[in-house]
Amino acid sequence: MNTEIKVEEVDIYKELKTEFGGLGANSFQGKMQDYVKSGTPIVACTDDFFPELFEAMDLPFYFVVRQGLESAFHAGRGPEAVDGYDEFNGASTLCSLQKASAYLLVKDLLPKPAAIVMTSTSCDAQTAVNELMSNYGPWAEVPRISVDASFEKDEASMEYLGKQWIQTIPFLEKATGKKFDLGKFKEVCEESNKQTQLLFDFQELRRAVPSPIRAEWGFIAYMGCRWSACGRQEGTEWMQRLYDATAQRVKEKKGIDGVTEKIRYTWFDILPCWSDKLFPRLEQEFGAVNLMDLYGYCAPWPSIDTSSLESIFTSMAKRFLIGNPMTRQIFALSTVYGGDAVNIAKNFKCDAVIMPGHVGHKDGAASHKIVKDMFRELGIPFFVIGCDVFDERYMDPEVVYQKISAFFETSGLT
Amino acid sequence: MKSGIKSEVYDKLAGIAGNVSNSEIENWQKQGGKIVGYFCPFIPEEIIIAGGFLPYKIRGTGSSDTSEADEFFDTKNCSFVRHCFNHALLGKFDFLDAMIVGTGCDHTRRIYDNWQVAPLKTKLVYLLDHPRTMGTEGMEETIITYYRAQLAKMKEYLENNFGVEITVPKLRKTIKLCNETRLLQKKLYELRKVENPPITAAEMASVLMAGASMPKEQYNEDLKTLLNDLSSVQGIKKDYQARLMIIGPAIEDPVFYSLFEENGGEIVIDDTCFGARYSMKSFIDEEAEDPLHAIAKYNVSDVPFCPKINGSHKNRIEFIDKMMKEYKVDGIIGQGYVACDPWGSSFGMLSAHMKDAGIPYLRLEREYISTETGQLSTRIQAFIETIGGRK
Amino acid sequence: MESIKSSDVFKKFSGIATSLKNSEIENWKKQGGKVIGYFCPVIPEEVFIAGGILPFRMRGTGSTTTDSADVYLKQVNCGFPRHTFNQALIGEYDFLDGLVVNTCCDTIMRLAVDWEHAGIKTPFIYSLDNAHAGGEAMVGHFRNQLQKMKDAVEKYFNVEITEQKLQDAIKLCNETKLLQQKLYELRKLPNPPITGSETVAVMVAGSSMPKEQYNKDLKTLLDELGNVNTDKKYSARLMIIGCGHDDTLLCDIIEELGAVVVTDQTCFGSRVMIKTISEEGDDPLMSIAGYQVLDVPYCPKTIGTHPERKQFTMGLAKDYKVDGAVGQCFISCDPWAAELYLLKSEFQEAGIPFIWFEREYIPDLIGQLKTRVEAFIETINN
Repeated sequence: MNTEIKVEEVDIYKELKTEFGGLGANSFQGKMQDYVKSGTPIVACTDDFFPELFEAMDLPFYFVVRQGLESAFHAGRGPEAVDGYDEFNGASTLCSLQKASAYLLVKDLLPKPAAIVMTSTSCDAQTAVNELMSNYGPWAEVPRISVDASFEKDEASMEYLGKQWIQTIPFLEKATGKKFDLGKFKEVCEESNKQTQLLFDFQELRRAVPSPIRAEWGFIAYMGCRWSACGRQEGTEWMQRLYDATAQRVKEKKGIDGVTEKIRYTWFDILPCWSDKLFPRLEQEFGAVNLMDLYGYCAPWPSIDTSSLESIFTSMAKRFLIGNPMTRQIFALSTVYGGDAVNIAKNFKCDAVIMPGHVGHKDGAASHKIVKDMFRELGIPFFVIGCDVFDERYMDPEVVYQKISAFFETSGLT
Repeated sequence: MKSGIKSEVYDKLAGIAGNVSNSEIENWQKQGGKIVGYFCPFIPEEIIIAGGFLPYKIRGTGSSDTSEADEFFDTKNCSFVRHCFNHALLGKFDFLDAMIVGTGCDHTRRIYDNWQVAPLKTKLVYLLDHPRTMGTEGMEETIITYYRAQLAKMKEYLENNFGVEITVPKLRKTIKLCNETRLLQKKLYELRKVENPPITAAEMASVLMAGASMPKEQYNEDLKTLLNDLSSVQGIKKDYQARLMIIGPAIEDPVFYSLFEENGGEIVIDDTCFGARYSMKSFIDEEAEDPLHAIAKYNVSDVPFCPKINGSHKNRIEFIDKMMKEYKVDGIIGQGYVACDPWGSSFGMLSAHMKDAGIPYLRLEREYISTETGQLSTRIQAFIETIGGRK
Repeated sequence: MESIKSSDVFKKFSGIATSLKNSEIENWKKQGGKVIGYFCPVIPEEVFIAGGILPFRMRGTGSTTTDSADVYLKQVNCGFPRHTFNQALIGEYDFLDGLVVNTCCDTIMRLAVDWEHAGIKTPFIYSLDNAHAGGEAMVGHFRNQLQKMKDAVEKYFNVEITEQKLQDAIKLCNETKLLQQKLYELRKLPNPPITGSETVAVMVAGSSMPKEQYNKDLKTLLDELGNVNTDKKYSARLMIIGCGHDDTLLCDIIEELGAVVVTDQTCFGSRVMIKTISEEGDDPLMSIAGYQVLDVPYCPKTIGTHPERKQFTMGLAKDYKVDGAVGQCFISCDPWAAELYLLKSEFQEAGIPFIWFEREYIPDLIGQLKTRVEAFIETINN
């Protein structure tokens, strides 16, 4: 027996994670401090804009909301940022992630941009932060563009969004001095298309029983391809390796190491910042495996049509409106959110569906009945928790565990 | 602090405001007229009236409970939306022939989803998409054009479902009609610039609410009569300590207004959805070649209705600053409903602005229907006393 | 009326259920009456009543600690006997003239000795051996044990427990059972006029006061229940299965969440009144023994009786049209833990949602319990 191969198999995901870290370090976001030091023009944008354009223009950028996640919550300073926001007497029920981002903004902890790109986006919370950004004193002189993404999802709407987005080119050129090159842009878009295809194929691997990997990899894959290395060859290569390793596991019918898969479920929202206090326990005590989170789910994600500048932007718009995780589900009718969850439940053979019911999602709160009814019809056990996926102080992970455990038990899954 | 309005027309309008339905609506129906409900202020009555419909803004007047609505919504959702939906579930809006919901905030837009699955008599429900930005430089026209296209679709929906034709001349006529409403309401507001306003904030609110619950032609006549009646009113005795401006969404609970009056404050002007925001900012261009475009422009550029709209904050601040001077306002109240992120965030920015300008400012977060008013009253009292002490 | 809580009779029952010594007992004692405490419904009240003695079902109501009891018992012992014993150690049971312990469960069984050893002022302490398996053969054996107990009571308390007196006592207690059955029948209604918590108060009072007065009071209560507004909508109809149930803790949690408890399979609830004792024949002790061994579904301590208990419990679930069942088991109660484990898969097979948990008899924290019950109710409603 060749034990060397076995060791390699386990280590490959560790390697992939390390490489993912490398992608991050090499990304615009990762090098942000260097750009700030050197006075390189930076763009601040809402995280619903597509990185392909910045990549093509070699324009350092950061997503504002992502700062709340990475600089606050992932850095262990989430509660500090959330409490700090509350001192401004702003929106008390604002999503804690947005509170953290808003706090960083008004405390001058975000790199001052040379340009701001705002696309109206999924939820009220994001709107609130956009408006804050628009009126933040120290950034008053920063040129900005404010784009409307419609609720409608028809052809006309995609053209509407695409048409507005095209304006970002002259806007960015003027604001940052960087030049736009259509040829380069097409190249980046085509590379991005490869990544998108891989993301989709990767998602499909989780139909396997047992699931070859945990849901977190769906999010990691998304971050790698969309946030850190969008349109970059290194990103595509990394994603290919991730896909290959996982496809191999599927071939060998390998489940998650150390877990006997008994319950397949989806946690259909963002993975909590406090995941480590919940998911491992569910795995060990119930053999419950989370197959999919919101960011690991690539609904119909059309590829970018690179035949012309207009077609690129229109297809980007299409992807944004009907494909982008969160935008697709939140900024749409309740039946879309529910419909996606139903699709995952059916196609990925879920035994149960858990809606975290993140407390910042007001539209989600108003959708639960509709989604519950969809699942009642389907006959798959369904449960809404009502926790805060970022700030664990709102609902102790222990309480979340108890709820899920009681849910599993009541549904006859244990 | 009653102003002593002895006016039959006021009593009539107050009666209309105090109930969900009224005799005007009943008469309208008897004559075979159709009624179209709506929730957000950017949903143009002009188009609805041009189709021969009576536009009716749904509200939760008299609601004491949201238990029916809470099956569809969550207690984390806005109480304004929930009380209105509760009324709908109790059949209070059964007189509606259609309902138009707008993509306002996250709570509001879900009225559309839940309306479709709820056991309601009114089957026709339409979702009108409103842009989320005023548009930055050079982009304004794109946004307006988009909204114009949405309005055209809404117009078609009404035309197709009811066999009516909403023509350009009809639209011009209704724009004129609604502009007249705006003008008359503006005149009412202007009466409150004086030291002894002839009408209290609560009474004003009733008059305004009535306007969105009855035929506009009659309403405009009633307003003219009211303005006349008010010219002979004594006015509120100057025993109040502070002139206030209230900012926020639609404020429809008379109990809330009374908290100010009880504590020596008089709200003389506002920036609320169906208040001054409707009549004091701008008019729709009656001469425009393309009335739909004119309506779209009004709703996108001239009068951004909600902090949901990117770019609206500046517009709001300008209006507040202007009104403060004209109405000699001593202090500002920011009132939002619990769970409202757009207003909540806006108030955070407003607070900073007020602090910089040295203007007394009180932030209140409450439920749409005030049940526990003790704490609110205390805070309002302290605020007014502080202002009074500074004068 | 909105709720039976405003009834004077209910208030009286509630007061009795939430205390140990009550005014009925005080009066009884003032008139020279004797009181015997007993642990388990297998011990027949009829025998004591026939001897003119007031039977009092033991419970740990009002206890806040087990510090005194833990000198004799350990943390591995069930909280129910520990708290009850603790109450006795601090004098709360000084009104008892006697105590009858049975071979109920491992801990309670030992209490007779501990009780005496601890010097608690209960002059008469008796250990009754009850049957540990079902079946006809056990009836005769149990009758003999009852005979011995009767003789001991007669001797100590200097009373005569005649056959006639036993028959009268059986009749009296049967009347109680019938009235309690009527009470439970009302809970079959779509909108029961009495909640689970309120029922607990009524049932617990029944074993804490003289039966004649209780029966009178219960008749009044049943009349009053006819006037209770039955429009209230509940989110789920549940049943409780398991240990004890002399407190309203679990019912309160469930009912505060908007559901309603409509029946139970517990030894303070349905199991004490589901059938009446035969008033025929000339050997009342035999009738009592027969009732206890053959008619009443046993506690899981009794071997070989799971099938009858399953049938009984399922029957209740169907008759009361429950949406789900909640099982509770005091920590370290092995018999009930095993029983609930079995019932769970049986209920699930029958398509009835079932959840169970272990809890302290008197818990410090109920947060976790609340969370799980809430999730259970939500899941059922989904």
